[in-house]
Amino acid sequence: MIGLSHYLILSAILFSIGLVGILRRRNILMLLFATEIMLNATNIAFVAISDNYGDLTGQMFAFYIIAIAASEVAVGLGLLIVLYKRHGSLDLDDLASMRG
Amino acid sequence: MESLVYVALFAPFVGSLFASLFGMSERQIFVGVVASLLLFISFLASALLAANLYITGDVIHITMMDWISAGDFNVAFGFVVDQISVTMMTVVTLVSTIVHIYAIGYMDHDKSFNRFFSYLSAFVFSMMILVMSDNFLGLFIGWEGVGVCSWLLVGFWYHKPDQDRKDNPSISPSWAANEAFIMNRIADLGMLVGIFILYWNTGSLQYDEVFAKLPELSESVLVGAAIALFIGAMGKSAQFPLHTWLTDAMEGPTPVSALIHAATMVTAGVFLVVRSNPLYSMEEVAGVSMFIASLGTFVAFYAASMALVERDLKRIIAYSTLSQLGYMFAAAGLGAYWIALFHLAAHAFFKALLFLGGGNVMHAMHDELDLFKMGDLRKKMRGTWLYMGFASIALVGLPPLAGFWSKDAIIETAFNEHTYILWIMLVITAGMTAFYSFRQVFLSFHGEDRHTALGFHPHEMYKFVLAAMFPLAVLALITGWFMSSYKEFIYKIGESVQYEMSDHTHHLAIYLALMVIFIVLSSITFAYFKYARTGEKAWKRDEEKEQGFFYKLLINQYYVPKFYEEFITKPYAMISEVFWTKIDLKIVDATVDNIAKFFYATGDKTRSMQTGNLSNYLNWMAVGAMILLGVAAISAMIGLGGIDG
Amino acid sequence: MDNILSVLVFFPAIAGLLGFVVNKNSIRTYGIAVTVIVFLLSLWLWFSFDMSNAGMQFVEMIPLIPDMGISYYLGVDGISLFIIILTTLMTMIGMASMGETKNIKNMIITLLFLEMTMIGVFVALDAIIFYLFWELSLVPMLYIIGAWGGPLRIYASIKFFLYTFTGSLIMLVGMLFVAYTYHNVTGVWSFAITDWYALVLPIEYQLWLFAAFFIGFAIKVPMFPFHTWIPYAHGQAPTIGSVILAAVLLKMGTYGFVRFSLPMFPDASVMAITPIAVLSLIMVVYTAMIAYAQKDMKQVIAYSSVSHMGIIMLGLFAMNAEGLSGSVFQMLSHGIVSGALFMLVGMIYERRHTKLISEFGGLTAVMPKFAIIFGVMLMASVGLPLTIGFVGEFLVLLGFYKVSPVMTIIAGTSIILGAVYMLRVMKFVFFGPLEKEENKKLKDLNARETWSLIPLVAIVIWLGVYPKPVLTPIDNSVNALLTFMDEKAITKEAKDMIIVAKSTNPSKLNMGDK
Repeated sequence: MIGLSHYLILSAILFSIGLVGILRRRNILMLLFATEIMLNATNIAFVAISDNYGDLTGQMFAFYIIAIAASEVAVGLGLLIVLYKRHGSLDLDDLASMRG
Repeated sequence: MESLVYVALFAPFVGSLFASLFGMSERQIFVGVVASLLLFISFLASALLAANLYITGDVIHITMMDWISAGDFNVAFGFVVDQISVTMMTVVTLVSTIVHIYAIGYMDHDKSFNRFFSYLSAFVFSMMILVMSDNFLGLFIGWEGVGVCSWLLVGFWYHKPDQDRKDNPSISPSWAANEAFIMNRIADLGMLVGIFILYWNTGSLQYDEVFAKLPELSESVLVGAAIALFIGAMGKSAQFPLHTWLTDAMEGPTPVSALIHAATMVTAGVFLVVRSNPLYSMEEVAGVSMFIASLGTFVAFYAASMALVERDLKRIIAYSTLSQLGYMFAAAGLGAYWIALFHLAAHAFFKALLFLGGGNVMHAMHDELDLFKMGDLRKKMRGTWLYMGFASIALVGLPPLAGFWSKDAIIETAFNEHTYILWIMLVITAGMTAFYSFRQVFLSFHGEDRHTALGFHPHEMYKFVLAAMFPLAVLALITGWFMSSYKEFIYKIGESVQYEMSDHTHHLAIYLALMVIFIVLSSITFAYFKYARTGEKAWKRDEEKEQGFFYKLLINQYYVPKFYEEFITKPYAMISEVFWTKIDLKIVDATVDNIAKFFYATGDKTRSMQTGNLSNYLNWMAVGAMILLGVAAISAMIGLGGIDG
Repeated sequence: MDNILSVLVFFPAIAGLLGFVVNKNSIRTYGIAVTVIVFLLSLWLWFSFDMSNAGMQFVEMIPLIPDMGISYYLGVDGISLFIIILTTLMTMIGMASMGETKNIKNMIITLLFLEMTMIGVFVALDAIIFYLFWELSLVPMLYIIGAWGGPLRIYASIKFFLYTFTGSLIMLVGMLFVAYTYHNVTGVWSFAITDWYALVLPIEYQLWLFAAFFIGFAIKVPMFPFHTWIPYAHGQAPTIGSVILAAVLLKMGTYGFVRFSLPMFPDASVMAITPIAVLSLIMVVYTAMIAYAQKDMKQVIAYSSVSHMGIIMLGLFAMNAEGLSGSVFQMLSHGIVSGALFMLVGMIYERRHTKLISEFGGLTAVMPKFAIIFGVMLMASVGLPLTIGFVGEFLVLLGFYKVSPVMTIIAGTSIILGAVYMLRVMKFVFFGPLEKEENKKLKDLNARETWSLIPLVAIVIWLGVYPKPVLTPIDNSVNALLTFMDEKAITKEAKDMIIVAKSTNPSKLNMGDK
């Protein structure tokens, strides 16, 4: 039987994958994807816990996250395109103009 | 009668204001004349008040207006005219009037003539407040007021530069003025403490209320108050160890020395002790009174010894003032308050005369004060010679002049109280006084003419100045004759000022007096043979003797000024410097700056985190999240976390 | 005029705003006119002040955030009344005496804003309003030092700002905690100081809160060891900045103790007497000695200012009417005397562009008027009877003698040490031979300078001879304060220590009433 812990383990694995992606990747597009993976990892955790407790709040929250993630991707991709047009690159190491 | 009190008090003030109106303009004779006239009015008022008091015996007590009131503390400008204050008022205004008239002549060539009169009258006003006040705080106003006027007047020739102590022991007028002010302030702190003690224990500062409560107070309070007030008196009356300022104050113009540093201000300390006689005559403070008498005797002796070798004319008179103040304190400490007050008055007259005579010499000799450069002046300055000789006779205490009666009474008191050590010292001091007074007279007016060779052409003072000095000479002669009526007058105040010799002393009095006269006469004769002769036996300066130990000790004032400089002034400046450069800047301020620098440095260091690279930021974010997670996990495990605890 | 206080607070600010449109040539006249009006208004406040009433008068109250108990709440009592008059007076005189200044328009506008914040601090009866003005007052001063100051002005102004700001933040935490406690006890929020007075706090709370407020006020006073910003601030500030700083801004600290610490934490205050007295004594003696070592005239006065503030602090913690009234009076006296001294030093600086004592000597010969006024202020500064300086200093020492004779004697050395450093300045600047060529050409005070100093001289003598018109209202309010503290104190030690004057008339007291 697949129980709550299995879902949570899956969620943790996904989250770790996303985290490693954020830490290791240099391409902004890839970072965006990694963030999406992490958000979805949380979604899985929310839904699983919500199911476990029989409380719909978690599932509602997951919907919110999906919606926000979608809009975030929209804005984020838009910005990326502008960035690419300006600099011709999406590599983070090339984009250090905010250096203090 | 009340209006007379105000006239006596405020006439000098009006004079001062009037003179200050012209303070910055050219010399105007009428300024001096008006100031002198106003003082004369003040004197007349004081004399009328004295006469009234003598006839009717009614003490006048008035309150002008409120001054400070806070909480339960309440003190007003109140004035009292009783036997003690009226004595002082009359003496002060009389001497002041004469000195004012004298100063018109003496300050004739000074461009700050008007300013001088403004200060001098302001001084008299302060002195009148001091003696007339009916409470300790009012006395303190006058006390500080005379201090400021003394500061202004000693430093009157402020433009003179500082000199080395070897060339001029007083360094400069402005230095001497500051020294006088600061030393007096040290004593004033003592006086303030005395005022605090009296206020918190009696709830008032008015003399009659304070004195009425004295019997209820504990011994420690009484002793504390007596000591603290006497410390105040020590400063103003230049008693050891706060005495060095008085001789340095001779840097001021001579009328100032005569009025402030001989006749009036310096006697304020004696006045304070006499005024507080109910306190000092308490059984419990007998120790303090004995200390006052001993210190007075010591100072009398100590100052006279320094005068023996001094060459500076004014400084000799200053030492003799110190010495005579010592006599007054001896009398007051032994309980003979009225004798102290009587000697104060007599001393004011003959000492002012002596000083003004000294001023004539100084004027004639173009500010040269070295006795060794004078000699044989009597031919050119006969009037001054007579005055100074007369005043010196009064000072050394030969009958029938004033000094004899009052000083002899003090010596008798010491005998009567069985304080034989004090008695012997006072007798010896009388001999020393005779010697140095006549040494000074002989060196300046007799002997060989030493000044002409040095290019001095002395001339006698203006006639009106000599005439103005005449009343002082008369008073120096006759004051003593009124001793018994004065005694009767002042006995009305109450038991605490009354002092009678025992029958035994009374019996011996004539022999004691004769003994003192004998010592005095032999000292004068000795001085005559040493200094007054001319021709072959004339006095010659003995350089070898001046290298001797005692001579050097005395001429350097027992090295006390040197000691103050090395052990107080210089260390104070050094510690101040250390406090500023080492402690304030290097420790206190540096600590503050280091805290600021720490934050700044922290920010500067962590700035390198700001690489501008998003990837690095994300790494840091992950680290932060991990740490937070760790903290949450640990606190959950040990049961700290959670909103509900 | 019921809302006279609001007018007093906001008139200078509005006039300051309007100042932007005033022509540059007439801005000085404009500024002086505004400050004169404000000064007259404050005098009117004094004349219509009910002397027999020891409580708050001219109270204005408009709720701002009722849920949080924050309101626009103003009022004056005998203690703040005269500090307000001092503020308006010194702003007026400081502005009138101001010499040639670059960007004079900005300077005058800044001063007018500063005046608003200063008056605001002294009339505020709501902690938030108080805090608001308290912090706002830093900004104009920061500008004055930073824009018109000497070579080190940036360092000095930042030090001034950050130092005092840090202190006030800790004070703010204290205020929030008092409000929080008040809410816990009564169930409603209030930031009104008069409400807070009614709050009886346990000793432990009192001590912590006292400490929090202490840091805020002590830095402002400035107490040893928090005083090191002041030599820089005075050293770099232009004359007008030093005048206002010494005369008014420092008083905000001591006023804070009277308004907050004493009535709110009576037990903690009594427990703090010894530590505070020790710090005050260090201030008195140590800074007086440092003043003696200074080479710059202005620094002498800056350090002497700290030394005198030590006397004021001592009086505040005397716990009897003599000391406390004397202390409040001494605040006024110090404001006028040190303000005048700073003005005098500024005038000589304008002529010679140096303040070093060694550069002068014998100035009396060329500048007699200047020397006379300096002499009067010097005498007031060393506490000569019949000048304003004596009354306060005497009462403080008298009051503190009841607490500790030994400490009073140590504090009393200020009359000696004060004379020592002031007379040194007098001797080396004004006395002695006039040697330097530059000094021989110095001009005496001109009419503008003379007439801006004469009122101060007049006040110095008037309040020295007859301090009653000022001292009586102060004393009434102080008596009310002490009676209140005595009733409120919970420990026996505190009740024993606080001495209520026997002459206090209880019917006149209405502390803590709205």
